[in-house]
Amino acid sequence: MNESVRMIVVLSVIAMVSAGVLSWAYQTASVIIEENEARALESSVLEVLPGTSTVNIIRRSPDELGVEDPGEMKEREQKTTLIYQGVDAQGKIVGYAFVGEGNGYGGVVRVLVGVDEDTDQILNVKILSHTETPGLGSRIEDEGFRSQFAGKTAQDPIAINQDIDNLSGATISARATAEAVRKGLQDAVAIYRGGE
Amino acid sequence: MSLFLLFLSALLVNNFVLVRFLGICPFMGVSKEVDSAIGMGMATTFVMVVASAATWLIERFILEPFGLPFLQTMSFILVIASLVQLVEMFLHKTSPALYKAMGIFLPLITTNCAILGLAIMSVQNAYTFIQAVVFALGGGLGFTLALVLLAGIREELRFADIPEPLLGAPIAFICAGLLSLAFSGFAGLI
Amino acid sequence: MARMVKNFVNGLWNENPTFRLMIGLCPTLAVTTSAVNGLGMGLATAFVIACSSALISLLRKVIPDKVRIPAYIIVIATFVTIVDLFMNAYMPDLHQVLGLFIPLIVVNCIVLGRAEAFASKNSVIASIFDGLGMGLGFTWALTVLGAVRELLGAGSIFNVKLPVGATIGIMSLPPGAFITLGILMGLVNMISARQKKRAS
Repeated sequence: MNESVRMIVVLSVIAMVSAGVLSWAYQTASVIIEENEARALESSVLEVLPGTSTVNIIRRSPDELGVEDPGEMKEREQKTTLIYQGVDAQGKIVGYAFVGEGNGYGGVVRVLVGVDEDTDQILNVKILSHTETPGLGSRIEDEGFRSQFAGKTAQDPIAINQDIDNLSGATISARATAEAVRKGLQDAVAIYRGGE
Repeated sequence: MSLFLLFLSALLVNNFVLVRFLGICPFMGVSKEVDSAIGMGMATTFVMVVASAATWLIERFILEPFGLPFLQTMSFILVIASLVQLVEMFLHKTSPALYKAMGIFLPLITTNCAILGLAIMSVQNAYTFIQAVVFALGGGLGFTLALVLLAGIREELRFADIPEPLLGAPIAFICAGLLSLAFSGFAGLI
Repeated sequence: MARMVKNFVNGLWNENPTFRLMIGLCPTLAVTTSAVNGLGMGLATAFVIACSSALISLLRKVIPDKVRIPAYIIVIATFVTIVDLFMNAYMPDLHQVLGLFIPLIVVNCIVLGRAEAFASKNSVIASIFDGLGMGLGFTWALTVLGAVRELLGAGSIFNVKLPVGATIGIMSLPPGAFITLGILMGLVNMISARQKKRAS
Protein backbone atom coordinates (compact mmCIF):
# COMPACT_ATOMS: atom_id res chain seq x y z
CA MET A 1 0.00 0.00 0.00
CA ASN A 2 1.12 3.51 -0.75
CA GLU A 3 2.53 5.05 2.41
CA SER A 4 0.57 8.28 2.42
CA VAL A 5 -2.67 6.43 1.70
CA ARG A 6 -1.92 4.19 4.63
CA MET A 7 -1.29 7.18 6.90
CA ILE A 8 -4.60 8.73 5.95
CA VAL A 9 -6.51 5.45 6.33
CA VAL A 10 -5.02 4.61 9.72
CA LEU A 11 -5.57 8.09 11.11
CA SER A 12 -9.12 8.28 9.82
CA VAL A 13 -10.01 4.88 11.23
CA ILE A 14 -8.58 5.80 14.64
CA ALA A 15 -10.40 9.13 14.60
CA MET A 16 -13.71 7.55 13.58
CA VAL A 17 -13.53 4.78 16.18
CA SER A 18 -12.68 7.35 18.80
CA ALA A 19 -15.57 9.63 17.78
CA GLY A 20 -17.92 6.65 17.93
CA VAL A 21 -16.74 5.59 21.38
CA LEU A 22 -17.00 9.15 22.66
CA SER A 23 -20.48 9.71 21.33
CA TRP A 24 -21.60 6.51 23.10
CA ALA A 25 -19.86 7.61 26.32
CA TYR A 26 -21.42 11.05 26.06
CA GLN A 27 -24.92 9.69 25.62
CA THR A 28 -24.49 7.30 28.55
CA ALA A 29 -22.92 9.81 30.88
CA SER A 30 -24.96 12.90 30.01
CA VAL A 31 -28.20 11.30 31.23
CA ILE A 32 -26.65 10.72 34.66
CA ILE A 33 -24.98 14.14 34.66
CA GLU A 34 -28.30 15.86 33.98
CA GLU A 35 -30.01 13.85 36.69
CA ASN A 36 -27.26 14.77 39.14
CA GLU A 37 -27.51 18.43 38.26
CA ALA A 38 -31.28 18.43 38.59
CA ARG A 39 -31.06 16.71 41.96
CA ALA A 40 -28.35 19.08 43.19
CA LEU A 41 -30.36 22.09 42.07
CA GLU A 42 -33.50 20.71 43.70
CA SER A 43 -31.76 20.37 47.04
CA SER A 44 -30.45 23.93 46.59
CA VAL A 45 -34.00 25.12 45.94
CA LEU A 46 -35.07 23.56 49.22
CA GLU A 47 -32.34 25.58 50.89
CA VAL A 48 -33.39 28.98 49.53
CA LEU A 49 -37.13 28.33 49.92
CA PRO A 50 -37.50 26.96 53.45
CA GLY A 51 -40.57 24.81 53.96
CA THR A 52 -40.69 23.54 50.37
CA SER A 53 -41.51 19.88 49.86
CA THR A 54 -41.94 19.67 46.08
CA VAL A 55 -40.30 21.68 43.32
CA ASN A 56 -42.04 22.49 40.03
CA ILE A 57 -40.07 23.74 37.07
CA ILE A 58 -41.47 26.57 34.97
CA ARG A 59 -39.92 27.26 31.58
CA ARG A 60 -40.21 30.60 29.84
CA SER A 61 -38.76 31.65 26.52
CA PRO A 62 -37.09 35.06 26.22
CA ASP A 63 -39.78 36.61 23.98
CA GLU A 64 -42.24 36.17 26.83
CA LEU A 65 -39.96 38.39 28.84
CA GLY A 66 -40.56 41.23 26.43
CA VAL A 67 -36.92 41.55 25.47
CA GLU A 68 -36.47 43.22 22.08
CA ASP A 69 -32.73 43.45 21.58
CA PRO A 70 -31.54 40.22 19.90
CA GLY A 71 -28.13 40.38 21.59
CA GLU A 72 -29.69 40.60 25.01
CA MET A 73 -32.23 37.95 24.03
CA LYS A 74 -29.47 35.52 23.19
CA GLU A 75 -27.71 36.33 26.42
CA ARG A 76 -30.82 35.74 28.47
CA GLU A 77 -31.73 32.64 26.55
CA GLN A 78 -28.75 30.89 28.11
CA LYS A 79 -29.48 32.26 31.53
CA THR A 80 -32.72 32.92 33.32
CA THR A 81 -35.17 30.68 31.56
CA LEU A 82 -35.87 28.23 34.35
CA ILE A 83 -37.91 29.19 37.36
CA TYR A 84 -38.36 26.79 40.23
CA GLN A 85 -41.63 26.94 42.06
CA GLY A 86 -41.52 25.63 45.63
CA VAL A 87 -44.71 24.12 47.06
CA ASP A 88 -45.05 23.09 50.72
CA ALA A 89 -46.63 19.95 52.13
CA GLN A 90 -50.11 21.55 52.21
CA GLY A 91 -49.93 22.42 48.51
CA LYS A 92 -49.42 26.13 49.16
CA ILE A 93 -46.86 27.93 47.01
CA VAL A 94 -43.91 28.99 49.14
CA GLY A 95 -42.15 31.03 46.53
CA TYR A 96 -39.97 30.95 43.46
CA ALA A 97 -36.29 30.31 42.95
CA PHE A 98 -34.20 31.28 39.96
CA VAL A 99 -30.61 31.16 38.78
CA GLY A 100 -28.77 34.41 38.15
CA GLU A 101 -25.29 34.99 36.74
CA GLY A 102 -22.76 37.77 37.07
CA ASN A 103 -19.22 38.22 35.78
CA GLY A 104 -16.78 37.92 38.64
CA TYR A 105 -13.06 38.12 38.94
CA GLY A 106 -12.03 34.67 37.79
CA GLY A 107 -15.20 33.73 35.94
CA VAL A 108 -18.97 33.53 36.22
CA VAL A 109 -20.67 33.70 39.61
CA ARG A 110 -23.91 31.69 39.62
CA VAL A 111 -26.43 32.25 42.34
CA LEU A 112 -29.77 30.73 43.24
CA VAL A 113 -32.25 33.22 44.69
CA GLY A 114 -35.45 32.32 46.54
CA VAL A 115 -38.31 34.84 46.44
CA ASP A 116 -41.32 34.78 48.76
CA GLU A 117 -44.65 34.24 47.01
CA ASP A 118 -46.63 36.76 49.10
CA THR A 119 -44.21 39.61 49.65
CA ASP A 120 -41.93 39.38 46.58
CA GLN A 121 -39.02 39.68 48.98
CA ILE A 122 -35.85 37.67 48.68
CA LEU A 123 -35.81 34.88 51.24
CA ASN A 124 -32.33 33.51 50.77
CA VAL A 125 -29.41 33.54 48.32
CA LYS A 126 -27.14 30.58 47.65
CA ILE A 127 -23.92 30.68 45.62
CA LEU A 128 -24.12 27.75 43.20
CA SER A 129 -20.68 28.06 41.70
CA HIS A 130 -17.87 30.55 41.37
CA THR A 131 -14.17 30.63 40.54
CA GLU A 132 -13.20 33.56 42.73
CA THR A 133 -9.92 33.72 44.66
CA PRO A 134 -10.05 31.46 47.73
CA GLY A 135 -9.97 33.51 50.91
CA LEU A 136 -10.85 36.78 49.15
CA GLY A 137 -13.55 36.60 46.51
CA SER A 138 -14.77 33.33 47.93
CA ARG A 139 -16.13 35.30 50.89
CA ILE A 140 -19.28 35.91 48.81
CA GLU A 141 -20.25 32.50 50.16
CA ASP A 142 -20.23 33.77 53.75
CA GLU A 143 -23.56 33.90 55.53
CA GLY A 144 -22.87 37.49 56.60
CA PHE A 145 -22.60 38.69 53.01
CA ARG A 146 -25.40 36.61 51.55
CA SER A 147 -27.90 37.48 54.27
CA GLN A 148 -27.80 41.13 53.20
CA PHE A 149 -29.92 40.25 50.19
CA ALA A 150 -32.78 38.90 52.30
CA GLY A 151 -35.82 41.17 52.30
CA LYS A 152 -34.89 42.99 49.07
CA THR A 153 -37.41 43.31 46.24
CA ALA A 154 -37.12 44.21 42.55
CA GLN A 155 -37.72 47.86 43.55
CA ASP A 156 -34.50 47.97 45.59
CA PRO A 157 -31.24 49.00 43.89
CA ILE A 158 -29.43 45.82 45.04
CA ALA A 159 -26.03 47.36 44.38
CA ILE A 160 -22.73 47.39 46.23
CA ASN A 161 -22.19 50.47 48.42
CA GLN A 162 -25.88 51.38 48.09
CA ASP A 163 -27.89 48.81 49.96
CA ILE A 164 -25.32 45.98 50.03
CA ASP A 165 -22.07 46.36 51.97
CA ASN A 166 -18.87 45.82 50.03
CA LEU A 167 -16.41 43.04 50.77
CA SER A 168 -13.06 44.78 51.15
CA GLY A 169 -10.51 43.35 48.75
CA ALA A 170 -13.18 41.58 46.75
CA THR A 171 -15.18 44.37 45.14
CA ILE A 172 -15.51 42.63 41.78
CA SER A 173 -16.77 39.41 43.33
CA ALA A 174 -19.27 41.26 45.53
CA ARG A 175 -20.46 43.36 42.60
CA ALA A 176 -20.85 40.24 40.43
CA THR A 177 -22.99 38.60 43.09
CA ALA A 178 -25.23 41.66 43.42
CA GLU A 179 -25.52 41.88 39.64
CA ALA A 180 -26.46 38.19 39.42
CA VAL A 181 -29.17 38.63 42.04
CA ARG A 182 -30.52 41.88 40.56
CA LYS A 183 -30.67 40.79 36.92
CA GLY A 184 -32.26 37.48 37.71
CA LEU A 185 -34.78 39.01 40.11
CA GLN A 186 -36.16 41.43 37.51
CA ASP A 187 -36.60 38.65 34.95
CA ALA A 188 -38.08 36.24 37.45
CA VAL A 189 -40.66 38.72 38.73
CA ALA A 190 -41.65 39.47 35.14
CA ILE A 191 -42.03 35.78 34.38
CA TYR A 192 -44.07 34.61 37.29
CA ARG A 193 -46.24 37.70 37.49
CA GLY A 194 -46.78 37.59 33.73
CA GLY A 195 -47.52 33.89 33.79
CA GLU A 196 -50.37 34.08 36.27
CA MET B 1 -16.54 43.00 32.75
CA SER B 2 -14.65 45.65 30.84
CA LEU B 3 -11.87 44.50 28.53
CA PHE B 4 -9.24 46.31 30.54
CA LEU B 5 -10.24 44.59 33.76
CA LEU B 6 -10.29 41.26 31.97
CA PHE B 7 -6.78 41.92 30.69
CA LEU B 8 -5.51 43.00 34.09
CA SER B 9 -7.13 40.04 35.78
CA ALA B 10 -5.48 37.56 33.40
CA LEU B 11 -2.13 39.37 33.56
CA LEU B 12 -1.67 39.91 37.29
CA VAL B 13 -4.45 38.87 39.61
CA ASN B 14 -5.18 35.46 38.19
CA ASN B 15 -1.73 35.04 36.71
CA PHE B 16 -1.72 31.87 34.61
CA VAL B 17 1.42 30.45 36.14
CA LEU B 18 1.53 31.72 39.70
CA VAL B 19 -2.14 31.55 40.58
CA ARG B 20 -3.81 29.17 38.13
CA PHE B 21 -0.88 26.75 37.78
CA LEU B 22 -0.99 26.55 33.99
CA GLY B 23 2.22 26.14 32.03
CA ILE B 24 4.39 25.06 34.95
CA CYS B 25 6.59 22.76 32.84
CA PRO B 26 8.02 25.50 30.60
CA PHE B 27 8.00 27.82 33.63
CA MET B 28 10.49 25.49 35.33
CA GLY B 29 12.26 24.31 32.18
CA VAL B 30 12.98 27.57 30.39
CA SER B 31 13.59 29.92 33.31
CA LYS B 32 17.33 29.49 33.73
CA GLU B 33 18.21 32.56 31.66
CA VAL B 34 16.36 35.81 31.08
CA ASP B 35 17.00 35.83 27.32
CA SER B 36 15.46 32.46 26.62
CA ALA B 37 12.64 33.25 29.04
CA ILE B 38 11.72 36.29 26.94
CA GLY B 39 11.82 34.22 23.73
CA MET B 40 9.66 31.50 25.19
CA GLY B 41 7.23 34.00 26.66
CA MET B 42 6.80 35.83 23.37
CA ALA B 43 6.36 32.63 21.38
CA THR B 44 3.77 31.37 23.87
CA THR B 45 1.85 34.64 23.91
CA PHE B 46 1.74 34.63 20.12
CA VAL B 47 0.46 31.05 19.91
CA MET B 48 -2.02 31.71 22.72
CA VAL B 49 -3.67 34.59 20.91
CA VAL B 50 -3.87 32.70 17.61
CA ALA B 51 -5.06 29.48 19.26
CA SER B 52 -7.62 31.29 21.35
CA ALA B 53 -9.12 32.85 18.20
CA ALA B 54 -9.10 29.54 16.32
CA THR B 55 -10.65 27.47 19.10
CA TRP B 56 -13.30 30.14 19.69
CA LEU B 57 -14.36 29.86 16.04
CA ILE B 58 -14.41 26.06 16.23
CA GLU B 59 -16.52 26.08 19.37
CA ARG B 60 -18.98 28.62 18.00
CA PHE B 61 -19.33 27.36 14.42
CA ILE B 62 -18.73 23.60 14.65
CA LEU B 63 -19.02 22.11 18.13
CA GLU B 64 -21.96 24.21 19.33
CA PRO B 65 -24.26 24.01 16.27
CA PHE B 66 -23.71 20.28 15.81
CA GLY B 67 -24.02 19.42 19.51
CA LEU B 68 -20.58 17.87 19.87
CA PRO B 69 -19.30 19.09 23.24
CA PHE B 70 -17.64 15.73 23.89
CA LEU B 71 -15.20 16.36 21.03
CA GLN B 72 -13.99 19.61 22.62
CA THR B 73 -10.79 18.31 24.23
CA MET B 74 -9.90 16.29 21.15
CA SER B 75 -10.51 18.99 18.56
CA PHE B 76 -8.87 21.75 20.60
CA ILE B 77 -5.64 19.82 21.18
CA LEU B 78 -5.42 18.77 17.53
CA VAL B 79 -6.02 22.34 16.37
CA ILE B 80 -3.40 23.67 18.75
CA ALA B 81 -0.87 21.05 17.63
CA SER B 82 -1.43 21.79 13.94
CA LEU B 83 -1.43 25.50 14.57
CA VAL B 84 1.95 25.34 16.27
CA GLN B 85 3.30 23.45 13.26
CA LEU B 86 1.84 26.02 10.87
CA VAL B 87 3.25 28.94 12.83
CA GLU B 88 6.63 27.24 12.84
CA MET B 89 6.61 26.69 9.07
CA PHE B 90 5.30 30.20 8.43
CA LEU B 91 7.96 31.84 10.56
CA HIS B 92 10.64 29.66 9.00
CA LYS B 93 9.68 30.91 5.53
CA THR B 94 8.85 34.55 6.20
CA SER B 95 10.94 35.78 9.08
CA PRO B 96 14.22 33.99 9.75
CA ALA B 97 15.11 36.44 12.52
CA LEU B 98 11.90 35.80 14.43
CA TYR B 99 12.22 32.09 13.76
CA LYS B 100 15.67 32.13 15.24
CA ALA B 101 14.38 33.84 18.36
CA MET B 102 11.27 31.73 18.91
CA GLY B 103 11.77 28.65 16.76
CA ILE B 104 13.28 26.23 19.23
CA PHE B 105 10.51 26.94 21.73
CA LEU B 106 7.61 26.35 19.37
CA PRO B 107 7.49 22.52 19.45
CA LEU B 108 7.46 22.69 23.27
CA ILE B 109 4.38 24.86 23.23
CA THR B 110 1.98 22.14 22.06
CA THR B 111 2.14 20.43 25.42
CA ASN B 112 1.94 23.70 27.34
CA CYS B 113 -1.31 23.24 29.19
CA ALA B 114 -1.78 27.00 29.45
CA ILE B 115 -2.88 27.07 25.79
CA LEU B 116 -5.48 24.32 26.05
CA GLY B 117 -6.53 25.58 29.48
CA LEU B 118 -7.05 29.07 28.11
CA ALA B 119 -9.17 27.78 25.23
CA ILE B 120 -11.39 25.74 27.56
CA MET B 121 -11.74 28.60 30.05
CA SER B 122 -12.83 30.98 27.28
CA VAL B 123 -15.63 28.56 26.42
CA GLN B 124 -16.63 27.97 30.05
CA ASN B 125 -16.85 31.69 30.74
CA ALA B 126 -18.82 32.26 27.51
CA TYR B 127 -16.45 35.00 26.34
CA THR B 128 -17.13 36.90 23.13
CA PHE B 129 -14.50 36.73 20.39
CA ILE B 130 -12.88 40.00 21.45
CA GLN B 131 -12.94 39.01 25.11
CA ALA B 132 -11.33 35.66 24.30
CA VAL B 133 -8.49 37.37 22.41
CA VAL B 134 -7.90 39.96 25.14
CA PHE B 135 -7.96 37.17 27.74
CA ALA B 136 -5.34 35.28 25.72
CA LEU B 137 -3.16 38.38 25.40
CA GLY B 138 -3.33 39.06 29.13
CA GLY B 139 -2.69 35.43 29.97
CA GLY B 140 0.27 35.19 27.59
CA LEU B 141 1.89 38.37 28.84
CA GLY B 142 1.28 37.23 32.42
CA PHE B 143 3.04 33.97 31.60
CA THR B 144 5.95 35.94 30.10
CA LEU B 145 6.14 38.20 33.14
CA ALA B 146 6.27 35.27 35.58
CA LEU B 147 8.83 33.46 33.44
CA VAL B 148 11.15 36.48 33.16
CA LEU B 149 10.87 37.26 36.88
CA LEU B 150 11.78 33.72 37.87
CA ALA B 151 14.63 33.63 35.35
CA GLY B 152 16.01 36.83 36.86
CA ILE B 153 15.94 35.29 40.32
CA ARG B 154 17.52 32.05 39.12
CA GLU B 155 20.36 33.92 37.44
CA GLU B 156 21.16 35.50 40.79
CA LEU B 157 20.78 32.18 42.61
CA ARG B 158 23.88 30.88 40.90
CA PHE B 159 25.97 32.96 43.27
CA ALA B 160 24.06 31.92 46.37
CA ASP B 161 25.07 29.29 48.87
CA ILE B 162 22.22 26.79 48.73
CA PRO B 163 21.97 23.50 50.69
CA GLU B 164 22.87 20.67 48.34
CA PRO B 165 19.53 18.77 48.23
CA LEU B 166 17.72 21.99 47.30
CA LEU B 167 19.97 22.84 44.33
CA GLY B 168 18.23 23.20 40.99
CA ALA B 169 14.49 22.67 40.81
CA PRO B 170 13.61 22.60 44.54
CA ILE B 171 14.97 26.07 45.25
CA ALA B 172 13.34 27.33 42.04
CA PHE B 173 9.98 26.08 43.33
CA ILE B 174 10.49 27.81 46.65
CA CYS B 175 11.34 31.06 44.83
CA ALA B 176 8.25 30.61 42.66
CA GLY B 177 6.25 30.22 45.86
CA LEU B 178 7.57 33.55 47.12
CA LEU B 179 6.76 35.16 43.76
CA SER B 180 3.28 33.73 43.98
CA LEU B 181 2.97 35.16 47.48
CA ALA B 182 3.96 38.55 46.10
CA PHE B 183 1.40 38.24 43.32
CA SER B 184 -1.34 37.49 45.81
CA GLY B 185 -0.89 41.13 46.81
CA PHE B 186 -2.57 42.04 43.52
CA ALA B 187 -5.72 40.33 44.75
CA GLY B 188 -7.27 43.56 46.01
CA LEU B 189 -6.30 45.50 42.89
CA ILE B 190 -9.66 45.50 41.15
CA MET C 1 7.84 -11.51 35.37
CA ALA C 2 10.78 -9.96 37.18
CA ARG C 3 11.04 -7.46 34.33
CA MET C 4 7.38 -6.53 34.70
CA VAL C 5 7.91 -5.81 38.38
CA LYS C 6 10.94 -3.72 37.50
CA ASN C 7 8.90 -1.72 34.97
CA PHE C 8 6.27 -1.18 37.62
CA VAL C 9 8.61 -0.12 40.41
CA ASN C 10 10.56 2.15 38.09
CA GLY C 11 7.77 4.71 38.01
CA LEU C 12 7.20 4.55 41.73
CA TRP C 13 10.66 5.75 42.72
CA ASN C 14 13.64 5.75 40.32
CA GLU C 15 11.82 7.60 37.57
CA ASN C 16 9.04 9.07 39.62
CA PRO C 17 7.33 11.54 37.27
CA THR C 18 6.91 14.25 39.89
CA PHE C 19 10.07 14.13 41.99
CA ARG C 20 12.57 12.73 39.48
CA LEU C 21 11.48 13.55 35.94
CA MET C 22 9.59 16.67 37.03
CA ILE C 23 6.85 16.41 34.46
CA GLY C 24 3.12 16.81 34.74
CA LEU C 25 3.58 19.57 37.26
CA CYS C 26 0.50 21.70 36.57
CA PRO C 27 -2.07 19.34 38.10
CA THR C 28 0.47 18.44 40.78
CA LEU C 29 0.41 21.98 42.07
CA ALA C 30 -3.14 22.95 41.23
CA VAL C 31 -5.30 20.22 42.71
CA THR C 32 -3.31 19.21 45.78
CA THR C 33 -5.19 21.36 48.26
CA SER C 34 -6.25 18.13 50.01
CA ALA C 35 -5.17 14.50 50.08
CA VAL C 36 -8.44 13.30 48.52
CA ASN C 37 -8.11 15.67 45.57
CA GLY C 38 -4.52 14.56 44.98
CA LEU C 39 -5.55 10.90 45.12
CA GLY C 40 -8.48 11.44 42.73
CA MET C 41 -6.38 13.34 40.20
CA GLY C 42 -3.59 10.75 40.43
CA LEU C 43 -5.92 7.79 39.85
CA ALA C 44 -7.64 9.52 36.92
CA THR C 45 -4.24 10.13 35.33
CA ALA C 46 -3.06 6.57 36.10
CA PHE C 47 -6.15 5.19 34.35
CA VAL C 48 -5.46 7.31 31.26
CA ILE C 49 -1.77 6.34 31.15
CA ALA C 50 -2.44 2.60 31.57
CA CYS C 51 -5.27 2.49 29.00
CA SER C 52 -3.60 4.63 26.37
CA SER C 53 -0.27 2.81 26.81
CA ALA C 54 -2.05 -0.53 26.32
CA LEU C 55 -3.90 0.60 23.21
CA ILE C 56 -0.90 2.33 21.68
CA SER C 57 1.26 -0.73 22.28
CA LEU C 58 -1.43 -2.86 20.62
CA LEU C 59 -1.50 -0.55 17.60
CA ARG C 60 2.26 0.06 17.45
CA LYS C 61 2.73 -2.01 14.28
CA VAL C 62 -0.31 -0.51 12.54
CA ILE C 63 0.37 3.18 13.08
CA PRO C 64 2.77 4.62 10.47
CA ASP C 65 5.76 6.28 12.06
CA LYS C 66 5.18 9.70 10.51
CA VAL C 67 1.72 10.18 11.95
CA ARG C 68 2.32 8.51 15.28
CA ILE C 69 2.10 11.66 17.38
CA PRO C 70 -1.34 12.75 16.09
CA ALA C 71 -2.52 9.14 16.45
CA TYR C 72 -1.29 9.02 20.05
CA ILE C 73 -2.95 12.34 20.79
CA ILE C 74 -6.30 11.06 19.47
CA VAL C 75 -6.05 7.89 21.59
CA ILE C 76 -5.11 9.86 24.71
CA ALA C 77 -7.78 12.52 24.15
CA THR C 78 -10.39 9.77 23.82
CA PHE C 79 -9.53 8.23 27.18
CA VAL C 80 -9.33 11.65 28.81
CA THR C 81 -12.80 12.57 27.57
CA ILE C 82 -14.16 9.25 28.82
CA VAL C 83 -12.70 9.90 32.28
CA ASP C 84 -14.06 13.45 32.17
CA LEU C 85 -17.58 12.31 31.31
CA PHE C 86 -17.84 9.41 33.73
CA MET C 87 -16.24 11.27 36.59
CA ASN C 88 -18.79 14.02 36.04
CA ALA C 89 -21.54 11.39 36.10
CA TYR C 90 -20.48 9.30 39.09
CA MET C 91 -18.29 11.63 41.17
CA PRO C 92 -19.71 15.11 40.50
CA ASP C 93 -18.18 16.65 43.63
CA LEU C 94 -14.64 15.55 42.79
CA HIS C 95 -15.20 16.55 39.16
CA GLN C 96 -16.21 20.03 40.28
CA VAL C 97 -13.00 20.44 42.30
CA LEU C 98 -10.60 19.05 39.68
CA GLY C 99 -12.49 20.95 36.96
CA LEU C 100 -10.25 22.25 34.22
CA PHE C 101 -7.43 19.88 35.12
CA ILE C 102 -9.29 16.77 33.97
CA PRO C 103 -9.33 17.74 30.27
CA LEU C 104 -5.78 19.00 30.74
CA ILE C 105 -4.57 15.42 31.40
CA VAL C 106 -4.35 15.32 27.62
CA VAL C 107 -1.36 17.68 27.65
CA ASN C 108 0.22 16.02 30.68
CA CYS C 109 3.68 15.16 29.39
CA ILE C 110 3.74 11.87 31.33
CA VAL C 111 1.04 10.32 29.15
CA LEU C 112 2.50 11.22 25.78
CA GLY C 113 5.98 10.60 27.15
CA ARG C 114 5.21 6.99 28.12
CA ALA C 115 3.47 6.38 24.80
CA GLU C 116 6.49 7.60 22.86
CA ALA C 117 9.26 6.25 25.08
CA PHE C 118 7.81 2.92 26.16
CA ALA C 119 4.48 1.75 24.72
CA SER C 120 5.55 2.26 21.10
CA LYS C 121 8.42 -0.20 21.56
CA ASN C 122 7.17 -2.78 24.07
CA SER C 123 4.54 -5.50 24.46
CA VAL C 124 1.03 -4.74 25.67
CA ILE C 125 1.50 -6.34 29.11
CA ALA C 126 4.80 -4.56 29.72
CA SER C 127 3.24 -1.26 28.65
CA ILE C 128 0.35 -1.69 31.08
CA PHE C 129 2.78 -2.37 33.94
CA ASP C 130 4.90 0.60 32.96
CA GLY C 131 1.82 2.83 32.67
CA LEU C 132 0.44 1.70 36.02
CA GLY C 133 3.80 2.21 37.71
CA MET C 134 4.12 5.73 36.34
CA GLY C 135 0.49 6.48 37.12
CA LEU C 136 0.74 5.24 40.70
CA GLY C 137 4.08 6.99 41.17
CA PHE C 138 2.29 10.16 40.14
CA THR C 139 -0.61 9.29 42.44
CA TRP C 140 1.45 8.82 45.59
CA ALA C 141 3.37 12.02 44.94
CA LEU C 142 0.11 13.96 44.58
CA THR C 143 -1.44 12.31 47.63
CA VAL C 144 1.56 13.08 49.85
CA LEU C 145 1.69 16.66 48.61
CA GLY C 146 -2.05 17.00 49.17
CA ALA C 147 -1.84 15.46 52.64
CA VAL C 148 0.97 17.80 53.73
CA ARG C 149 -0.86 20.87 52.44
CA GLU C 150 -4.15 19.75 53.96
CA LEU C 151 -2.51 19.09 57.32
CA LEU C 152 -0.75 22.45 57.43
CA GLY C 153 -3.46 24.48 55.73
CA ALA C 154 -6.66 23.03 57.17
CA GLY C 155 -5.49 20.84 60.06
CA SER C 156 -6.90 17.60 58.67
CA ILE C 157 -5.88 14.60 56.56
CA PHE C 158 -8.34 12.87 54.22
CA ASN C 159 -11.00 15.19 55.66
CA VAL C 160 -10.39 13.80 59.16
CA LYS C 161 -9.91 16.68 61.56
CA LEU C 162 -6.73 16.31 63.62
CA PRO C 163 -6.05 17.99 66.93
CA VAL C 164 -3.72 20.61 65.45
CA GLY C 165 -3.49 23.84 67.38
CA ALA C 166 -2.86 26.29 64.57
CA THR C 167 -3.09 26.12 60.78
CA ILE C 168 -1.19 28.05 58.13
CA GLY C 169 -3.82 29.28 55.69
CA ILE C 170 -1.27 30.10 53.01
CA MET C 171 -0.55 26.40 52.53
CA SER C 172 -3.96 25.93 50.91
CA LEU C 173 -3.31 28.87 48.58
CA PRO C 174 -1.06 28.84 45.48
CA PRO C 175 2.20 29.91 47.22
CA GLY C 176 1.90 26.93 49.57
CA ALA C 177 1.82 24.55 46.61
CA PHE C 178 5.13 25.79 45.21
CA ILE C 179 6.89 25.89 48.54
CA THR C 180 5.69 22.45 49.70
CA LEU C 181 6.69 20.83 46.41
CA GLY C 182 10.12 22.47 46.56
CA ILE C 183 10.74 21.21 50.08
CA LEU C 184 9.43 17.69 49.32
CA MET C 185 11.69 17.53 46.26
CA GLY C 186 14.62 18.50 48.43
CA LEU C 187 13.72 15.70 50.87
CA VAL C 188 13.51 13.13 48.07
CA ASN C 189 16.90 14.31 46.80
CA MET C 190 18.35 13.91 50.27
CA ILE C 191 17.00 10.36 50.68
CA SER C 192 18.31 9.37 47.24
CA ALA C 193 21.74 10.80 48.00
CA ARG C 194 21.86 8.75 51.22
CA GLN C 195 20.83 5.59 49.34
CA LYS C 196 23.54 6.16 46.77
CA LYS C 197 26.17 6.72 49.44
CA ARG C 198 25.22 3.50 51.19
CA ALA C 199 25.29 1.55 47.92
CA SER C 200 28.77 2.68 46.97
